Amino acid sequence: MGKKTYWGIIIATIIINVVMLQWTVEAFLGREYDVLFTYNIISLISAGVALFSYFQWRKVEYTK
Amino acid sequence: MTCKKKLGRNQKDTNDDMINLVDNLNREDDLKYNRRAFLKTAVGTSVALGVATIPFSVKAMLGMEKDYERVEITKLADLPEGESVVFNYPTEKDPALLVHTVNGDLKAYNSACTHLMCPVFYEKEQDVLLCPCHAGYFDVNNGHPTAGPPQRELPLIEIEVDNGIVYAVGRQYRHG
Ligand code: FES
Repeated sequence: MGKKTYWGIIIATIIINVVMLQWTVEAFLGREYDVLFTYNIISLISAGVALFSYFQWRKVEYTK
Repeated sequence: MTCKKKLGRNQKDTNDDMINLVDNLNREDDLKYNRRAFLKTAVGTSVALGVATIPFSVKAMLGMEKDYERVEITKLADLPEGESVVFNYPTEKDPALLVHTVNGDLKAYNSACTHLMCPVFYEKEQDVLLCPCHAGYFDVNNGHPTAGPPQRELPLIEIEVDNGIVYAVGRQYRHG
């Protein structure tokens, strides 16, 4: 995949994580624990995707 | 001497090559604030945001709802219509409000405003629950916000009347 794709993925994960954090806080305050765990898991997956894309991007970016 | 006669580099606001050599002094910034660094920061932000949701889950798991006790609030005779009384339920740290509305209903809610936790009180002229901090209004019949900044309803305290005494028996966090 091209470098641009990794950029896109990483920016997308930031957007997802901002929204998930907001929703998690809402769910926590409203004691909706089941959805809270769902948001939490989505958020962690998206963080994982961000890290993974970063390493992939690094491979492409720093090869001559 | 007029400007015309000066060498290029001596003229006012010139872009002559021999003048702009100092632009090189910014090279540290060029190394620090570039495309790659931006992406790395973005990744860091994304991961940090993701990790920031963990404490909420942990706290939620530790603080799962326990069973509720039956707690006496007040005698019904001491609470005429249009009056309200403050109590704590389910723990001493959860202030709550029992309202005998002007229509004769008994309603109880946790009284910490769902905006920023100011205590709400009963306004009998308008038959509403009012938060004085930022003018948040709640419907006294179901605890849902009707105006102002609050977005969530007040937690509902389930009550029971037994022999003229009002008891709190449970709580619903999201309801209706
Ligand atoms: S704290 Fe109640 S409206 Fe802001």
